[in-house]
Amino acid sequence: MAGLARRSGIWLAALGVVLVLPWIFSSGFAITTLNQMGVLIIFSLAYNMLLGQGGMLSFGHAVYFGLAGYSVAHVLNGIGAGTLPYVPVSLLPLVGGLVGLLFGIPIGFVSTRRAGTVFAMISLGFAEMMTALTLILVVFFNGEEGVQTDRWAGPEPFGITYGPDVQVYYLIAAWCLLATLAMYALTRTPFGRMTNAVRDNPERVQFVGYSTHRVRWLAFVLSSFFAGMAGALHALNVEHVGFETVGVGQSGLVLFMVWIGGARAFIGPIFGAVVIAFLNSNLSGITEAWLLYLGIIFMTVVMFAQGGLSGLILMHEPIWKTDLKLFRPMVLPYAAGIGATIVACLGAIGLIELIYFMSTKSTRDTGTSLYTVPVDAATALPWLVCAGVAALGAAACRRAYRPMAASYADAIETVKAGAAR
Amino acid sequence: MEVFAFSLFNGVLYGMLLFMLASGLTLIFSMMGVLNFAHASFFMLGAYLAYQISAYVGFWPGLVVAPLIVGVVGAAVERWGLRPVHKFGHVAELLFTFGLAFVIEEVVQLIWGKVPMPYDIPASMNFAAFSWQGLDYSAYRLFMLVISVAIFAALFLFIAKTRIGLIIQAALTQPNIVSALGHDVPRIFMWTFGFGCALAGLAGVIGGNVLGTEPAMAITLGPIVFVVIVIGGLGSLWGALIAALFIGIVDNLAISYDLSAYPLFAAFGVERDVAGFMQDLVRLTTASIAPVLPYFLLVLILIVRPRGLFGTRDV
Amino acid sequence: MTAQALELRNLRKSFGKTEIIRGVELAIEKGRIHAVIGPNGAGKSTLYNLITGLHPVTSGRILLNGADITDKPPYEIARRGLSRSFQVTNIFPRMSVLENIRCAMLWDLGYRYSFWHFVGRRRDLAERCGEIMEQIGLASRRDVPAGLLSYSDQRALEIAITLASGADVILLDEPTAGMSRSETEQAVALIRKISQGRTLVIVEHDMGVVFDLAETISVLVYGEIIASGPPAEIRANPAVREAYLGPEAA
Repeated sequence: MAGLARRSGIWLAALGVVLVLPWIFSSGFAITTLNQMGVLIIFSLAYNMLLGQGGMLSFGHAVYFGLAGYSVAHVLNGIGAGTLPYVPVSLLPLVGGLVGLLFGIPIGFVSTRRAGTVFAMISLGFAEMMTALTLILVVFFNGEEGVQTDRWAGPEPFGITYGPDVQVYYLIAAWCLLATLAMYALTRTPFGRMTNAVRDNPERVQFVGYSTHRVRWLAFVLSSFFAGMAGALHALNVEHVGFETVGVGQSGLVLFMVWIGGARAFIGPIFGAVVIAFLNSNLSGITEAWLLYLGIIFMTVVMFAQGGLSGLILMHEPIWKTDLKLFRPMVLPYAAGIGATIVACLGAIGLIELIYFMSTKSTRDTGTSLYTVPVDAATALPWLVCAGVAALGAAACRRAYRPMAASYADAIETVKAGAAR
Repeated sequence: MEVFAFSLFNGVLYGMLLFMLASGLTLIFSMMGVLNFAHASFFMLGAYLAYQISAYVGFWPGLVVAPLIVGVVGAAVERWGLRPVHKFGHVAELLFTFGLAFVIEEVVQLIWGKVPMPYDIPASMNFAAFSWQGLDYSAYRLFMLVISVAIFAALFLFIAKTRIGLIIQAALTQPNIVSALGHDVPRIFMWTFGFGCALAGLAGVIGGNVLGTEPAMAITLGPIVFVVIVIGGLGSLWGALIAALFIGIVDNLAISYDLSAYPLFAAFGVERDVAGFMQDLVRLTTASIAPVLPYFLLVLILIVRPRGLFGTRDV
Repeated sequence: MTAQALELRNLRKSFGKTEIIRGVELAIEKGRIHAVIGPNGAGKSTLYNLITGLHPVTSGRILLNGADITDKPPYEIARRGLSRSFQVTNIFPRMSVLENIRCAMLWDLGYRYSFWHFVGRRRDLAERCGEIMEQIGLASRRDVPAGLLSYSDQRALEIAITLASGADVILLDEPTAGMSRSETEQAVALIRKISQGRTLVIVEHDMGVVFDLAETISVLVYGEIIASGPPAEIRANPAVREAYLGPEAA
C-alpha cells in the first residue's frame, strides 16, 4: 500500500509540475521550448522501447515520426478545407499513432527478422529511401517546401482554439503524460519483460517458449505507434512538416537524446530529451558550434558512461538509499573533479569559439566576445588564455578523477558491507 | 552510342571511386566486425586536406601526403577511440563510429566553413585527353581511372601474394582465426583501420575535385558505400568491385538516359495531366528514381539474403 | 504401450560432408532419469541441439510424447513441454533472479505476448516463482541481477529457468560442469528432487554423478549409441570400456 502511494506520488508530482510550468516560464520562447521538449520526450521514450528495452539500434525511427507528421498535416488541411470528416484536433495524435503503427507493422516484420548490425543497416536503408521519396512523391511530401498546415481546423470542444501556444502546451503535456504512463506500464507487462529478455539473451528466449522475432516485432510496432504520436504533435506544434523529419538526421537526434540521457533507465530518455531540447533552444542562438558540442558530449558518453547521464546519477542510488551521510566524504573529491572538468571545458569551448569565429567571419573585423568579454581574435592573447585554461583544466582532471572514483568505491563498499550484515 | 560510351566511362570511374571506399570498409568490417559509419568522413577529410595542401604547395604533394595524414588519423582513432569501446559490444562500436561521423562533419565545418571549397582539378591535367564522337574525355578523369585501377591491382597483388595478405584473406572469412594464430591482433586492427581510412582519404583526394568538396559529401556518399558492400557481400573484395561498378554504371546510365515512366501508364490509358497521387507516378523518370534505387536494393538484399551476392560469411 | 517420453529414430546429422550423428536410435521412458555419456566429440551437444530444434536434422525423426517434433522451431518444442539447460550458463544477465525465473514461466501460464497484465500483480506468477526459488535455494537472492551471481548460483539459476516452464521432459547439459565436490553433491540432491514426476535426460562427464543418479544409461560414441541399459550392465559392457579406455582394456 505504501509502495502504491509512493509510486502514484511520483506521477501526481509530475502532473503538478507539468500543470504549473507555463506559469513559471511564461515567455513565448520558454513555451516553445517546453512544447519541443514534450514532443521529444514521447519520441525518445518510444525510441528507447527499441534500444534500451529491446536492444535494437535503429537509424530510421524518424520514418514513423515524419510520416505521421505529414499525414496529420494533410488530415488537418483536409478538415479545414472540408474534404475530410471532422476530427477534434486534440485527438489527432491518435491518428498520428495509427499512421506510425500502419507503417511499423510491415517494415517491422521484415526488419526484426535480423538483429544487430543488419537491423541497423536495414533501418538506415528505409530512412534513406524515405528521404529520397520525399522529393519524388511530390503530392504527399511536397518536395523541399514541405507541407504547411493550420491548427485551427474547425470548432474544437470546450472552446479551445489552439491559437495561443499555451493551449498547444497543455495538449502536448496531456499526451506526453498519457504516453509516458502507457510506455511505463508496458515495461511491467509480460510483453515488456520478454522484450528485456530478448535484449539480454535472444537465444534463451526461444527455449522458454517465445518467438524472438514476434517479441521484437511487437516492440517495434508499439514503438512506431508512439513515434507517430510524437510526429503528429510535432506537426501541430510547428504547423509545418519538412523532409528532414523522416531522415537519418532526425533519427540521429533522438538517438543522441536517448543515449546521452541513458538507455538503461526508464527516466533516461526523458532526461536526455529535456536536457538536449533545453540546450538546443538556448545555445543554438549563441554559438555556431552547438552541434559540435552535442557530438562531443555523445562521444564522451559512448566511451565513458554506458548508462548515460541518468546512469551516472542512478549509480549513486545504493548510497542515498542506505545513508545520506555517506555522501559527506565524497563532496570534496566530487567538487574537485566537477570543477576541474568545468575549467577544462571552458578553455576548450573558448578555443572552439575562436576557431569558429575566425573561419566564418565575413568582415575584416576580428573583434568578438568570449563569455561576454570582448577580445580581438587576431591577437595571440585570447588563444593563449583559452589554451592555458584548457590545459590547466585537463591536468586538474587527471589529478582529480582518481580520488573521485575512489571516494565512490569506498561508499559502495560501505553499502555492500552493511547489506551483507 | 556516344552517350552510352560516355556514361559508361563516367560510370566505371564513379564505380572505381566507390570501390576504393568499399574495399577499405569491407576490410575493416570483415576483420574487426565494426561497420565504420565514419568511413565516408575520412573520404571527406582526404578531399579537404588535399584542397588545403594544393592551395599551398600543389596537387601532387597532396596526392601523397593527404592519404597518409588521413591514415594516421584513422589509426589514432582506432587506438584511442574505438579500441576501448570494443569491450562494450557491437552497439557501442556502431554508436562510436556514428558519433565520429557526426563530429568529423562538424569539425570540418568548424575549420573550413559550410561553403563548398574551390578544390579544382590541377591545371596540368585540365584538358581533354581525346575526343570521341564529339564528346571530350578529360585527361584528369583518365588519370583518376588509371590511379584507381592501379590501386585495385596493387591491393589484389598484396592480398594474394604477400604473407600479410594471406592473413587478411583468412581474417576476411574467419576473423576468429586471426587471434588463434598468435598475431598481435590489436596491432593488426589498428593498421587495418588506418589503411582502410587512408584508402578512403585517397579516394577523397582524387575524387573531391570532381564530385565537389563540401561538408555534405560524407552523408551523401556514405550510405551508397554501405549499399555496395551489402550487395557485394561481406568478406568479398571481388564482390565489392562488381557491386561498385554495377552501382556506378547503373546510376550514370539512369541519369543520362532519363527514361520516362509515362509510356507505361499511357498503355493503360492514363492521361498525362492526371490529378493527385498518380501525377507523381506518371512523372517518374529513371533519373528521378536513381536516388532511391540503391537503398531499395540495400533493404531488399538485407531482408532476403544478408550474405550479399558474393559474400563468404554472415554479418 | 504408452508413448515414450522422447524417441529418436535413425537420427542423422551432417555438417557439410562430416556426419556427426550417424543413425541414433534412442528411447527415453517416461518418468525415468536417463543419462547419456560418451567420450568428447561423440556428438552429445549436437544431439541436444537437434532435439531442441536449434539445428535441422539431415534425416530421421524425433518424437516427443508420441508427437513428431523434428525440425520444429525451438520455441514450439519448448511450448510442448521439453525444456533444456545449457552447459555454458545461458541466463538473462541484466535481469534479477526472480525475473529470470518469471520469464521462463510466462508462456506456460498463458500470458503469451500480453501487454495488458502487470507481472508484479499476478498471484500465479508470484506463487510459482516462490516455489522454484525455494526448491533451488535462491530465494534470498531474488533481486540480485543474474550477471552478478557466483558461478554455482548461476548454474542453479540455469536449472531453475529450465524447470520454471513446467516442462515434463527436461534435458540437462552437464549440470555439474565446473563444480567442486560439495557443490556437485548439492546439485545431485537437487536433481534427484526435481526428477519427481518428470522425465530427465542428463549429459554428464562426471561418472560418479551418472552412476549415482541414472536409472538407464546410453553410451554415445562417434555419433552412434553403442550400448543402452541399467548402470550395472553398462559398467560391465566391453564395448563401452573399449570406447573409453582403448582396445587393451576390453
